[in-house]
Amino acid sequence: MEAKPITVRAISAEAFYTAYGRQLGLKLEAGEAGLDRKIREATVNRPGLALAGFFRYFAWMRVQVVGKAETFYLKSLSTGERRRRIQDFFQRRVPCVVFSRNIRPLSEFLEEADAYRVPLFRSPLVTGPLINSATLMLDMEFAPKITEHGTMVDILGIGVLIKGESGVGKSECALALLERGYSLVSDDVTRVYVLDGRELMASSPEETRYLMEVRGLGLIDVCRVFGVGAIRIEKRIDLVVTLQDPHKMEDIERVGMEQEFHEILGIRVPHVCIPVSPGRDLARLVEVAALDQKLKTMGHNTAKEFNNRLIARMRGEAKK
Amino acid sequence: MKPAASGGDEQRRSLKREVAVINKQGIHARPAALFVKTAGKFGCEIVVEKDGEVVNGKSIIGLLMLAAGQGTKLVITADGRDADKALTELAKLFDDKFNED
Repeated sequence: MEAKPITVRAISAEAFYTAYGRQLGLKLEAGEAGLDRKIREATVNRPGLALAGFFRYFAWMRVQVVGKAETFYLKSLSTGERRRRIQDFFQRRVPCVVFSRNIRPLSEFLEEADAYRVPLFRSPLVTGPLINSATLMLDMEFAPKITEHGTMVDILGIGVLIKGESGVGKSECALALLERGYSLVSDDVTRVYVLDGRELMASSPEETRYLMEVRGLGLIDVCRVFGVGAIRIEKRIDLVVTLQDPHKMEDIERVGMEQEFHEILGIRVPHVCIPVSPGRDLARLVEVAALDQKLKTMGHNTAKEFNNRLIARMRGEAKK
Repeated sequence: MKPAASGGDEQRRSLKREVAVINKQGIHARPAALFVKTAGKFGCEIVVEKDGEVVNGKSIIGLLMLAAGQGTKLVITADGRDADKALTELAKLFDDKFNED
């Protein structure tokens, strides 16, 4: 039974503030009553044109970032005109406004934000970095997410998600990998989200972070037993390894010419299936699979290269 | 060469069959994988011979080492209870050009 993907269509200004307020150094200046307003797009907008009175294609559903340019423009207007422009802007139901560079919002801005109930924040970050960070954070909030049944490890920089039925030995395998000095991201339950629309990032649910269940031993605190070097908060998935009972496998790979893939949230990740039988050193196999995957991403496919050499040689001999 | 059937034990049968490699690319990785997968289904011992070089028919590296290109003749020897069936299935792979070409 597989978990269903979670898609987020909107987050409230309050949720954004709670989750990222500290990282972005946000301070709420006005419009507290509107914290329930919804951000509906995973990016930010600079409302320069809107403040100049041009509202076609105005991306009102995004977080609005006001920098020096907008502020100086508004200052250049007469008091009455300035207030009117700000009112026009707030009428568009924007979710929230962030002032960069610790710019003190103009008094009209503060008053109208309260009047229209639109949260207004201030951040010490310079506009460019603020936009970049906020976009990344929003992208993560809006990214499709799923919970995968599998154990995630980092082997020399290669993120490996170990899957397989319960009791097949995923945790034991991860334990042996920890002993070899690699690190654990999550055991058994792994949260996965799509980064940037093309990569899968894996992490552990907060509640069970660094915990591992080993049959016969119970719960193990990996961070305390193996040290802080043995854990990792987040890692990209580069390879999926499925541990499987050989009797249930239709086909066991013998050459490795074809790259198999496993799809998570619409992203295809290289996949290998390893038959589990008594006496096989699974950790060693997973380790080699990860290293071979690294070779492949560097452009070396051992099986293909060998086969091309072999075919060329056989062709040469046939001509003789 | 060894005599075909050693006699005595009724259960143990050693059978030989000559096959020709007719698929264009010869016994490269994919045909070799298909061969060992098929050979692996049988309990009998299987060896493959090319010009006096003998390799285990269940070893992919062994088969690849033979570098048996198109036109090569190979001798497959199967030794065991299901030898007959094994040879039939393996020979069929060669006749079917390993589903290539």
